[in-house]
Amino acid sequence: MTPAITVSGLVKTFGPARALDGLDLTVNTGEVHGFLGPNGAGKSTTIRILLGLVRATSGTVRLLGGDPWADAVALHRRLAYVPGDVELWPNLTGGEVIDVLGRLRGGIDERRKRELIERFELDPRKKARTYSKGNRQKVALVSALAADVELLILDEPTSGLDPLMEAVFQQVVAEVKAAGRTVLLSSHILAQVETLADRITIVRDGRAVESGTLARLRHLTRTTIAAETASPVTGLDRLPGVHRARAGAGSVSFSVDAEHLDAAVRHLTTFGIRSLVSHPPTLEELMLRHYETEEAAA
Amino acid sequence: MTATSSRPRDGGGPLTGTGAMVRLALRRDRLRLPIWVLVVVALVPRFYYAATSAVVPTPQALADATRLIRASFMRVLAGPFFGAEAVTTQKYFLAAYWVEFLLAAALMNILLVTRHTRAEEQSGRAELVRAAVVGRPAQLTAALVVAAAGNAVLALLAAVAAGAIGFTAGGALLFGASLAAAGMVFAAVAAVTAQLTEHPRGATGLAGAVLFVAWLLRGAGSLQAEQGGPLFWLSPIGWSQQTRVLAGDRWWPLGLSVLLAALLVAAAYALAGRRDLGAALVAARPGTACAPVWLRSPLALALRLRRAAIVSWAAAFLAVGLVLGGMTGAMSVTDLPIFAGADFGRAWLGLMVFTGSLYTGVHAVLSVLRLRAEEVRGLAGPVLAGPTSRRAWFGSSLLASALAVVALLTVYGVALGAGAALSTGDGRLVAEVAWASLRRVPEVLVLLAVPAALLGLAPRAAGAAAWAVLGCSGFVAVLGAYLRLPGPLVNASVLSHLPWHPLEAAAPVATVVLLGLAAALTGLGLYGLRRRDLSTG
Ligand SMILES: Nc1ncnc2c1ncn2[C@@H]1O[C@H](COP(=O)(O)OP(=O)(O)OP(=O)(O)O)[C@@H](O)[C@H]1O
Ligand SMILES: [Mg+2]
Repeated sequence: MTPAITVSGLVKTFGPARALDGLDLTVNTGEVHGFLGPNGAGKSTTIRILLGLVRATSGTVRLLGGDPWADAVALHRRLAYVPGDVELWPNLTGGEVIDVLGRLRGGIDERRKRELIERFELDPRKKARTYSKGNRQKVALVSALAADVELLILDEPTSGLDPLMEAVFQQVVAEVKAAGRTVLLSSHILAQVETLADRITIVRDGRAVESGTLARLRHLTRTTIAAETASPVTGLDRLPGVHRARAGAGSVSFSVDAEHLDAAVRHLTTFGIRSLVSHPPTLEELMLRHYETEEAAA
Repeated sequence: MTATSSRPRDGGGPLTGTGAMVRLALRRDRLRLPIWVLVVVALVPRFYYAATSAVVPTPQALADATRLIRASFMRVLAGPFFGAEAVTTQKYFLAAYWVEFLLAAALMNILLVTRHTRAEEQSGRAELVRAAVVGRPAQLTAALVVAAAGNAVLALLAAVAAGAIGFTAGGALLFGASLAAAGMVFAAVAAVTAQLTEHPRGATGLAGAVLFVAWLLRGAGSLQAEQGGPLFWLSPIGWSQQTRVLAGDRWWPLGLSVLLAALLVAAAYALAGRRDLGAALVAARPGTACAPVWLRSPLALALRLRRAAIVSWAAAFLAVGLVLGGMTGAMSVTDLPIFAGADFGRAWLGLMVFTGSLYTGVHAVLSVLRLRAEEVRGLAGPVLAGPTSRRAWFGSSLLASALAVVALLTVYGVALGAGAALSTGDGRLVAEVAWASLRRVPEVLVLLAVPAALLGLAPRAAGAAAWAVLGCSGFVAVLGAYLRLPGPLVNASVLSHLPWHPLEAAAPVATVVLLGLAAALTGLGLYGLRRRDLSTG
């Protein structure tokens, strides 16, 4: 099957500012793809190009088999979008806005809309002017998730939602995925992406620095170990692949490259392990590692 | 939502979604647009009544009025005058007030189109809309369709009103059409300016500048020849007047309006189809990384936030002042009854000084209403959460607005005086006109204090009420005498108390009273602001 989204060598400049600098991204059909990166990395810019709102300076972009700029209208029939900062018409009610946006997309599934309004605990009769930030976000979410589309493009869609609503969102996206739809989910909330995403792409400074399944990315990276031992641990620094070792009286923590994990744990056993916690790298660590490598290279 | 559900047809035409956008715009403007149209239409009989009371009684009065209207002074303001051979009250009505109707129609269209195009982009709502099945130019198209519909209704109702005041059927229709044509040209102008700047206010300002130039060219052309000289034909407002309603009704000049509107719309589409959503013609340049040292007090912040507005207004005032002042020399001295014995150039300058004060009032209201926007959009929160009190925030913002008022009136007065001095060779005019302009500070301060009071007492209504006060005060002050409005009503206008002429007239009592009123209103606003809840975004 052809991928839902293929982007290669994407460049976007705003006057002198270079927002995207040769970005590559592939989103396969039917997957939830996490799109991660620090502030200003270029996530929203990429998404705005995918939506045909902004024109690429150079590079190729294919979305659902079409050109997002030239075929914008036809493509938008098959996708729905939620931005991270939702602005609504102040003198329309939330319910009106959901309908307007739904109709603009070509009609809305009434039953699904009512169900989502209930699940997100939204009062659709309030004027948009009086909604809190989270409630504005819910309006856009309901309208997008109620749409019968192949692709959902979500740009930090849960910014401002409380943890309960965040959980509802996770459920709904899981259902969407089960229904075979494709989701591009940009986020800072790493836990959200970890549970939902099949694959992720990490962007930084307008380039993709990593892409693949979480398992594969973790394999490439370090495991963090914290242990308590009977006698103080020595000689860790001399082991290959061990980083950031910190030893206290009877406790030690360090991170270790995947291929040296075995040797490191063996070394520990010689000091009498009392407890051992190991956790795979979080996405924060994935990102941090990239900063470190780049800083080291610079 | 009253619109029925409609599934756009398949295919991806660029205009897909226009129908839905039109319905959305009508829903959003269900009060605003009818009010605009009805107010403009209602002024037809109102002005006619004024015209009858001005000229009807005797043939002598009619002859006097004709002389008045043919004077260069009036020609600049309202000209030209067609059909002077056989004056009727209907013709007098057109000669005196047609331009006002054309300006109102143009303004209605500029505000409407900007509101549904650039303002939507800047707010971020257009992003949600454009990500749906909506073609790139659909929002622009919808704005123009709504403008066209509004203009059509305006034309019809204005024609009915004109018929009711004794226009021939053909003349009444042509009068309505002339308003719609001017409206459509400026809808198209706004469609272009909306593509050029990032902020809706900039787009409105640019379109307003075009409108002013059109008004000016029409005035200058009227000076060139009674029926309109070559400059006149450069003005879209002038084309509407060249239909010569009731003086040989001709439709063809409206063809020029249609042509220009079509060209401008085509230009707007070309620009809109090419650019990024939310982008201006030129990309924003990076600014400084640190705040300058002087930016450390609430007052400094208030001035910094208003800097761009103050500078662009000052530039516009400088240009406008020079041009209007430069016309002084061309004002011939005639036997106008209302200015009998007066120095005609100075009478013109007095009126222009007053006009400057009215526009400075517009700036003042915008500047104060900014506070409301800051509050609602959550920009005031971080400032007020710090050690800045509400009084300091409110007071220093108002002080910044007041300083801007003084600066603008100074710039305008000096420019107007310099223009007048250049055209008449009388150098004393610079100081004289500048001083006359500065003397109007108190009334503008009251205009500034009105929204300030409302901000404290009735924040939700502040915008509408402040514009209503400004509009009505200006209207009554300018036209009260012509319209024979009752004395108490005229006196209720903030702008009726400082004399316009002679230029050197001082009014110490009124000055003190107005300053006191401004202070009291400001105090009231602060009182309200300290007691009410702040609105959040
Ligand atoms: N219209 C614009 N003009 C100039 N620069 C822009 C514009 N839009 C985005 N940028 C710049 O492009 C870069 C990428 O911005 P973008 O909004 O895509 O980041 P992001 O990854 O979405 O960040 P965040 O996580 O904070 O939302 C930033 O440096 C930003 O300043
Ligand atoms: Mg973003």
